[in-house]
Amino acid sequence: MILTGRIPRLVHFNLFVDSVMVEFRNYSVVQSFCRRLVAALAAAGLVGCGQSDPPAFRLDMPKVVANGIAPQHQRAIANILGAMFGTPDNPFALPETGLDQRKLATAAGPVWSDAEGGKHGLYRRHCAHCHGISGDGLGPTAAILNPYPRDYRSGVFKFKSTYTAGQPTDDDLRRILHDGIPSTAMPSFALLPPDEIAALIEYVKYLSMRGQMETALVNYVFDEGFEPEVPLDPAADPELKDIIMNDLMAGVMEGWGAAGEQVILPEDSAIPPDDRTPEQIAESAAKGRELFYGATKGNCVKCHGPTGLGDGQQDDYDNWNKANVQFIDDTKSLVGEVQDLKQNLSNLAGEEREAAELELKQKSQELADRRKLIAHMLTPRNAIPRNLRDGSYRGGRRPLDIFWRVSAGIAGTPMPASGPASEGAQGTLTQEEIWQIVDYVHSLPFERVNQPQRRPVNVETVN
Amino acid sequence: MSTITADAHAHAHVEHAHAGSFLSTYVFSRDHKIIGIQFLFSTLLWFFVGGLLALGVRWQLAYPWSEMPVLGKLLFAEQGGQIAPETYTMLFTMHATVMIFLVIIPILAGAFGNFLIPLMIGAEDMAFPTLNMLSYWFMWPAFIAFGASFFVDSGPGAGWTSYPPLALTMTPQVLWLIGLTCVGVASMMGSVNYLTTIIQMRAPGMTMFRLPMTIWAMFITAILQAFALPVLTAAGFMQLADLTLGTGFFIPEGWSANNTPHFAGGGQPLLWQHLFWFYSHPAVYIMILPAMGMVSDMISTFARKPLFGYKPMVYSIAGIAGLGFIVWGHHMFVSGMNPVLGMTFMVATMFIALPSAIKVFNWLGTIWGAKIQFTTPMLFALSFVSMFIIGGLSGIFMAATPVDIFIHDTYFIVAHFHYVLFAGTAMAVFGAIYFWFPKMFGRMMNDSWGKLHFFLTFMFLNGVFYPMHILGMVGFPRRLADPYHYETFRHLLPLNQFITWCAILMVASQIIFIVNFFYSIFFGPTAGRNPWHANTLEWQAPSPPGHGNFDFQPVIYRGPYEYGSPEVDTDYYPQTQPPPQQGTPYSPSGH
Amino acid sequence: MKHFWALVFLMVPVFGVLTFVVAPYFNHWFPKDISEHGRVIDQLFMFILWLTGIIFIATEGALFYFAWKYDARANPEPVKFSHGSHTLEVVWTILPAVTLLFIAIYQMNAWADAKMRKPNIPVTAEITGRQFNWDVRYPGHDGELHTPDDIVRVDGDIHFPSGEEVLLIIKSADVLHSFFLPNLRMKQDVVPGMEQYMWFKARETGRFDIVCAELCGWGHYKMKGRATFQPRREFNAWLDEKLTEQQTRTIAATAE
Repeated sequence: MILTGRIPRLVHFNLFVDSVMVEFRNYSVVQSFCRRLVAALAAAGLVGCGQSDPPAFRLDMPKVVANGIAPQHQRAIANILGAMFGTPDNPFALPETGLDQRKLATAAGPVWSDAEGGKHGLYRRHCAHCHGISGDGLGPTAAILNPYPRDYRSGVFKFKSTYTAGQPTDDDLRRILHDGIPSTAMPSFALLPPDEIAALIEYVKYLSMRGQMETALVNYVFDEGFEPEVPLDPAADPELKDIIMNDLMAGVMEGWGAAGEQVILPEDSAIPPDDRTPEQIAESAAKGRELFYGATKGNCVKCHGPTGLGDGQQDDYDNWNKANVQFIDDTKSLVGEVQDLKQNLSNLAGEEREAAELELKQKSQELADRRKLIAHMLTPRNAIPRNLRDGSYRGGRRPLDIFWRVSAGIAGTPMPASGPASEGAQGTLTQEEIWQIVDYVHSLPFERVNQPQRRPVNVETVN
Repeated sequence: MSTITADAHAHAHVEHAHAGSFLSTYVFSRDHKIIGIQFLFSTLLWFFVGGLLALGVRWQLAYPWSEMPVLGKLLFAEQGGQIAPETYTMLFTMHATVMIFLVIIPILAGAFGNFLIPLMIGAEDMAFPTLNMLSYWFMWPAFIAFGASFFVDSGPGAGWTSYPPLALTMTPQVLWLIGLTCVGVASMMGSVNYLTTIIQMRAPGMTMFRLPMTIWAMFITAILQAFALPVLTAAGFMQLADLTLGTGFFIPEGWSANNTPHFAGGGQPLLWQHLFWFYSHPAVYIMILPAMGMVSDMISTFARKPLFGYKPMVYSIAGIAGLGFIVWGHHMFVSGMNPVLGMTFMVATMFIALPSAIKVFNWLGTIWGAKIQFTTPMLFALSFVSMFIIGGLSGIFMAATPVDIFIHDTYFIVAHFHYVLFAGTAMAVFGAIYFWFPKMFGRMMNDSWGKLHFFLTFMFLNGVFYPMHILGMVGFPRRLADPYHYETFRHLLPLNQFITWCAILMVASQIIFIVNFFYSIFFGPTAGRNPWHANTLEWQAPSPPGHGNFDFQPVIYRGPYEYGSPEVDTDYYPQTQPPPQQGTPYSPSGH
Repeated sequence: MKHFWALVFLMVPVFGVLTFVVAPYFNHWFPKDISEHGRVIDQLFMFILWLTGIIFIATEGALFYFAWKYDARANPEPVKFSHGSHTLEVVWTILPAVTLLFIAIYQMNAWADAKMRKPNIPVTAEITGRQFNWDVRYPGHDGELHTPDDIVRVDGDIHFPSGEEVLLIIKSADVLHSFFLPNLRMKQDVVPGMEQYMWFKARETGRFDIVCAELCGWGHYKMKGRATFQPRREFNAWLDEKLTEQQTRTIAATAE
């Protein structure tokens, strides 16, 4: 059955061919094949000799390369981050972060159990293979998931109770760990003991802060436009230390500290009462339906489609994929620039030529770096609007959850906020209207469609 | 006199064999013995790969998410050496795939079937030598496809049964299915060849009931393959079409997974299970019957006594093969198949235990009142009987449908089929290698090292597989990367660590075998024609036999198991030796 | 050691039996059975275990004895030149055949109870396996599934009433899964496109594991659930509580 309105085609074969072609274009299959083969042969003789290096936090290389951060500065940034946050095996949190060091220690490091049965290395046991050691959403399992696992480093979380730009509260993170995210690969961790959940929440916040700090540092270095020779060593440079700790760090921490105050509070006057009759609910849902199709307000139909199957606009990206698309597009234009430079080279002479040659060399180097990164990048995927008839709600099915979703939108995705952007601001919809949409959304799985979804075929059971 | 002529004759054959280039003699050879040895080397190499994959699985079960030796360091250095869960599914999927499709089936039918059939029936070669060569070279696309599938994404991870719709969510499954099809084609070529050869090319006097058990087993196995394989091949193509062409044989209406909708529909996932097991249950017997045949030969030879109940043995092999076609549903008792079918399959399954029991009793009857020579091959053959008893009896538990509700897909099943396939077939294969090695390479393997190899393998394999019954009783499920998430199974970790260390030691013990094998090929003491004083025909040919096999026209006077016959003074009585009253006894060279 | 190899083969029955004798003392045995019909399955298992155990000891014992007695180095007797015995063949064909037939018939009732005699009662819940979680949908007050008052839980914590027959619809949202309750000796694969029924009656209350027993992808091991059995009254209270929670519209209601 055609659910999304796309033309039926040889889906899997195309995907297969596409992926093979993409891989081959970057030679990554060939490279990885040869690398693995050579490594396998070499390692066959070295069974079990020694421990491998402890894992390290990776820098966000596409961002680093896109901002043209010099290798010396890359190392400096890594050192500063290491001094502030430690390593995956030995994390520590500065007092400013407000994180609990004991919880971090339980969540981090390799997987083991102590004599009392206490679990350690929780993050690597439960999370790291998707979300990655660095919290970059680039664990080994990531590539086979749809949607991709979250990259915590931007500090943007989709399903939360706060205003669009706000950070999630601990309760928001706990709710996600408890229920998982239905219709994605994120399972429920409700059966872990509360202290383990708390440790994991702490560690996710830690990874997020670390990533935001990294972004802040990269942006700072880019904005200041330091020459590669300028050392960035806060230990030797009190001014730099002051900037890092007071400006950059404070900027990151502000959002996390204020998360509790950013929660969107439904106004008592707007909340529909619990004892409504089915007729009243239907009336409210009908109003919500109008907003759903409204051209000026609401306009959910644009993405979620006329039947609510999520078959409206499907060609947008979320922030994480958008960054990758941008990176790939920039690389494509860089290819053109390099070609132009090469062609112009013959027309130039003397100093001009030398300068052009230098530029060409730099650009070619950047191009090579970018191509290497693209080879290991997750193939960008469109953000597909939710099928509202499916009955699965990623951020929770309570009316309150859906209220928050409509009100604040889904941060980092094309789903816009319909409520106010911050306390006291003006949204496109009033809270009453948002509650009406909530009622309509809740009625959608039970609404008749002109293309009814066929129920599963009953198997003959023997009585 | 006859000795000289015979040798000259053999020499001529050898010259003839060497007349071609190196490539046509040793690589693209059409000689069944070379092809058999090619199969043997290829499958032993994959045996090694499959064993290492199993160690990966065991490591994860003993020390979940800790740094995995070699593999973890190689692929997941950035993750602290802990493997990814999809790599674990790849490990057990490819362990089973490699062991079943690239080791056991080809080593039995390909290596020993090829090498032994013409020799044991007194033929010069197979009926279709070129087809025979192709049956080996069709394994290579399979080797390449399976080998390459390791490197696509994280490798195939749908289990060796490749159940859709899960399999349809995985790209490497395309290569996996291509590999499977090539193995099928290779087996098909082999089975046609074996059937024709056994029916048409027996030496004068070699009636069907004078065939050694090995040949009977190979014959019936070939029938099984010829009838069951087309179903698997067709099913494989159907799944391949679902994967690549967008058909929906195994996909229900409106199906999507991983948020990727599939537009075709109207199919049924259970259909694959029926088609797959319609082949793969007979395949279970393809994987054990030839081993049973070879074990019968070894036991009779070293018991120096006729095989007890030759005809019942033949009938029971035929019975297993016949019943083997109507029991596939016992893999699907809790699959959602109609429970009434479950009941019928249960009765059929119960009855397939019967011929197996008859075989065990007859082997015991054979060593009763015997003069047992505990050579290495005999030890392996006896251990086959001993282990097959365990594997056979544990099968009754899962044939009982209500019990199967509980133990289905637990380690009880894993214990059961490893007792049949590893402790049974693989041990028989080891025995067969020790037994027929002199015929293959003209030299003996070292018996003391062989016995040490046997002893260590036997001890450790029981350490590995026997406790798995207990795991299964607790309900410990198969294929879980981290079963200790469940409170029910948390206390099973120490037992799993014990199993893992036994497995590591068991694999390590195989080094003795590898060294013995290669050392003996070059430096073992030369074997005569008949080092074991056996009756069957292959032992009357030179070791190793030249091109064309026999340096005389074999004529068969009796069955293969006339050990300790009162008619002659020796305790053996070769099939080619004329009865004393019919003139001068023929004495082949080498005695 | 003249009889070394015979003794090696003797170790098989000795250690084989010993393992099963010792295992229960280390709690390596069936998980606790809390169901009505589970006893039948356990008894059947034990019956087969005893039966096969006896055959195991007898055959492995015979193998050991023959290996001991008929060792060529120890046995001065000439070999018994025998091609078999028709009587023996008939005996050892008929005896196992009768035994197997007995087992086959003996268990049919238990199988029918577990999988064929679906009780005629309202459905307690619909359970959906998906990659990688067990979701549950209770019919709510109207007793009908797929209506707006359904209670849907996605956290894998599934509650059942104990002391009464429970009827479940189980199905799959994507690939094959298998709903396995070790403590109730119950297992049923779920197949996409098919709805299946499962029924059982728990005798006790408590929290037990729900295991996925059919490979469903990389996260197969993560697909862990928890079955909580509680008396009807508590179960209903829990359902009401969850229904209220599901209708939360205020922040105050989330504070616990």
